[in-house]
Amino acid sequence: MNSIILRTEIQERIGEIGEADILVGIPSFNNAGTIGHVVKAVQAGFAKYFPDKKCVLINSDGGSTDGTMGVVQDTAIDDSSSILFYHRKGPIFKISTPYHGIPGKGSAFRTIFQIAEVLNVKACAVVDSDLRSITPEWLELLIKPVIQDEFDYVAPLYHRHKYDGTITNSIVYPLTRALYGKRVRQPIGGDFGFSGRLARFYLTKDVWGTDVAKYGIDIWMTTVAIASGFKVCQAFLGAKIHDPKDPGADLSAMLYQVVSSAFGLMDFYSETWKSVTNSEPVPTFGFQYAVGLEPVAVNVERMIERFSLGVRELMDIWKEILPGEVAGFLRKVSEQPIESFRIPDEVWVEIIYNFALAFHRQTINKEHLLKSLTPLYIGRTASFVRETWESGASEVEEKIEGLCLMFEEKKSFIAEKWDT
Amino acid sequence: MEIIRRIIIEPFEGLYAKILVFLPNFLASVLIFVVGIVLAAVVRALFFRIFRAIGMDRFFERTGTVELLKKGGLGDSVAALLSKLLGWGILIVFVVIAMRTLEIPTVERLLERFLLYFPNIFVAAVIALFGYLAGNFLGRAALIASVNAGLKVSGTIGKFVKYAVFVLAGTMALDQLGIGRDTVIVAFALVFGGVVLALAIAFGLAGRDIAKEYLEKKIKGEEGKDEISHL
Repeated sequence: MNSIILRTEIQERIGEIGEADILVGIPSFNNAGTIGHVVKAVQAGFAKYFPDKKCVLINSDGGSTDGTMGVVQDTAIDDSSSILFYHRKGPIFKISTPYHGIPGKGSAFRTIFQIAEVLNVKACAVVDSDLRSITPEWLELLIKPVIQDEFDYVAPLYHRHKYDGTITNSIVYPLTRALYGKRVRQPIGGDFGFSGRLARFYLTKDVWGTDVAKYGIDIWMTTVAIASGFKVCQAFLGAKIHDPKDPGADLSAMLYQVVSSAFGLMDFYSETWKSVTNSEPVPTFGFQYAVGLEPVAVNVERMIERFSLGVRELMDIWKEILPGEVAGFLRKVSEQPIESFRIPDEVWVEIIYNFALAFHRQTINKEHLLKSLTPLYIGRTASFVRETWESGASEVEEKIEGLCLMFEEKKSFIAEKWDT
Repeated sequence: MEIIRRIIIEPFEGLYAKILVFLPNFLASVLIFVVGIVLAAVVRALFFRIFRAIGMDRFFERTGTVELLKKGGLGDSVAALLSKLLGWGILIVFVVIAMRTLEIPTVERLLERFLLYFPNIFVAAVIALFGYLAGNFLGRAALIASVNAGLKVSGTIGKFVKYAVFVLAGTMALDQLGIGRDTVIVAFALVFGGVVLALAIAFGLAGRDIAKEYLEKKIKGEEGKDEISHL
């Protein structure tokens, strides 16, 4: 407890609890409208699936001004019979505390990990506070693989709308899979289960002053778990329906934080990923079923305009990073009519690998480098939307699989150039 | 013979006497200069190792200074650059001491004037260098940010920021050198004020509709906004 500052009453509360079996953390920031449902689902999950375990719910808050912490404290299950749980042998402990450090999800998680360490818990889970589709079953799916099957890390597997999680689908999943050889479909899903052992391992890493403390935490947790040889699996949780991720959040800032964490990890684990030659599936828990998802509105024309603006204005920067033929292709595609606009998988993979190399070699300032990726990402997303407009979920998944294979096929390119 | 002695021999004797007086000073001066060169090399090598050992390059890489230097055409690491500066500082000090040791009044007067003015040159050079580096860096940051915000005038914004920083740094450097001090400051204030006024008038008159549209979008929410969730 040396490295965090918790209020005295929180420390006393932790002291009263002593030790626990299961801990679920909910990071929050102004989520009063949605966190009540999440807290109810977690409490119901504790009651229904872990009636004989000592369970603790931690809300790690970033200084909400809308009464989020109050909602957490006041929320209780109204009708216990409706969820068919058995009589609990002990109470459910609930702690709501502000976190310290750089504002962001990663700092919230750090507080959760540290409380998990003090309570010496066997299994933990973290779930987002803006979830509308969470059910008590999520707790079982995220925690039981840790308790019963001794897995260290349980990544989520959701059914999402084909245009939901586009950074995941176009960059993070294919890149992580190609680099580290494990097919974890939602590496930045946001809802994870993990062992107390892994929580303690995370705390040994000195990353809390970096972008890991912000949006980078999810990819960091997944990559560290895989690259450090922990037992990893995934659990099917159904649909992921949540509030739009911080409507005011700047896309380029999000992209920067996630991609800089992923590229930074490539630096750290370069010897690990260079020796991986192919990918393999990870064990998957849960009964998979199709779910209906709400359609989303996409303005492809405007996305292509953003891409073309980037080509006009940022080409001088990209020329320092990308091979001449890729830069030439981008210029050409920006002049084409919308009907024939397309950025193929091969070009996209070259773009990402060359940006990763430029990040590693520090060709230009890292923030400038990754923020200049935004128009390219928007262009690629527009191309993906155009190509899959009429496609169903399975066709879209096939398309993503094709992209992943391209990342794996071209991995030798980056491995060869990494140390030159 | 007397005439020959007075015209030729005495001046030579005088010169010889002066050389005898000057020579020890000259030799001492050369010696000081050589010691300065050696000491400067030693200090430079020593501090380079110290700076590397304390991880100065890693620190400046994180702060983006290395990138600034590269952009400004300086390929050296920060540790190498600072140790070189220290070496040059030592050498300059020894050169000054060596020149004073010569005890030549004209040189002393020139040296005095140069020494009094030298800090201004140094500070002006530093201001100009940082202005150049910061102008390029901030110009590019503004360009990328405005492209990501979807502004069609991104190129103009980037250039404006870059040249504004250049002009500001140039004005400060000239002010430091004392060149046309009042003129430069007044000119800068007029130009800067004029640009701001011109932009305000242009936006107020020509961009009235854009301003209206922008405010409406901000207040009422953007129409046709994408609902893609990126993460």
